Amino acid sequence: MGAIEHPPIFRLPGIPDHVTYTWLVMLILTGVAFAASRNVQLVPRGLQNFFEVVLEQFIQLIDDVMGHEGRRYLPLIATLGLFILVGNLMSLVPGLAGPTGNLNTTAACALVVFVAYHWIGIRKQGALAYLKHFAGPVPLALKPLMFVIEIISHLARPLSLTLRLFGNMTGGHILLAVIFFLMGLDGLIGWALSGSVAGALIGGVGGAVTIVFTVGFLYPLKILVSLLQAFIFVMLTMLYISGAIEEAEHHAEHH
Amino acid sequence: MRRSLILGGLLVLGLPGLAFAAEGSQAGGWIGPFAVIAAGIGMAIAAGLCGLGQGRAVASAVDAMARQPGAAARIQTAMIIGLALIESLAIYTLVIALILLFVKGIQFS
Repeated sequence: MGAIEHPPIFRLPGIPDHVTYTWLVMLILTGVAFAASRNVQLVPRGLQNFFEVVLEQFIQLIDDVMGHEGRRYLPLIATLGLFILVGNLMSLVPGLAGPTGNLNTTAACALVVFVAYHWIGIRKQGALAYLKHFAGPVPLALKPLMFVIEIISHLARPLSLTLRLFGNMTGGHILLAVIFFLMGLDGLIGWALSGSVAGALIGGVGGAVTIVFTVGFLYPLKILVSLLQAFIFVMLTMLYISGAIEEAEHHAEHH
Repeated sequence: MRRSLILGGLLVLGLPGLAFAAEGSQAGGWIGPFAVIAAGIGMAIAAGLCGLGQGRAVASAVDAMARQPGAAARIQTAMIIGLALIESLAIYTLVIALILLFVKGIQFS
């Protein structure tokens, strides 16, 4: 999408932008986590308080969806959620790039989820029981057909996780870029700075309207979409894991 | 009405071909205009039908929430997951549109 989007301000030569900004997200998360847990107190204050609230939200979500045995998977789920959330919100800062706006980052997250929930299912039930789990509660003659369909549906899960996050973020970026581009923000600002009175009036008012519309309407929408996509990624991860660890009799279908 | 629609559709789909025939110099450069048209029409159909589907889902969810306010939180969670799954179908079309618009091999072949 480099055709209409401005490249980020800070670039490392020879390294793709999404890798640079993935490192930046990792630095932010580890730095904040270190600062919050450096001086842990019984009565939390400041950053520690904030992080306890965030993690309690994750634990409550896990309890709602997966039950108490789901708390073992809190590190995986909360890390994925915080990484995607910070990545999504970072792509809204002008001059920075978002790691989740690139297909490689989202595919990496989805593959981690894919491998993790199969691994958890095999560890929990044993390989043979887990494979039986794919065939579902149908008569014996239908089991091969059911098995193939389940395999395809499981292979579609990382694809849909990848494309959902990538498409939402990239679509939002293109929307912002196209609206700035079509409204001619750079032309309006150039007109406003040209020195003539009419140019200052028209360009200044037009530029102000453009900026107010975009910042006032599209940015809240993008922040909502960022939060929602992180929530949905985490939610689907929890559904996949709980589908893998539950017994074969209570097999529920979630795509 | 219908005849004019068909005529308009044929015109829209045929014009890039005519324009290419008029240019005629670039060998094999005819996919680009059709790719742009396909991206626009495909995204329009996908967005419209996705809106219909999501509207039905949200209508049912709001109905259920109004009948049972106690279960509103659970219904809302289920609704958001359902909306994400419906929306991902439109996102697939968006990805295909992005491929048609931005992948160099298609756009300039």
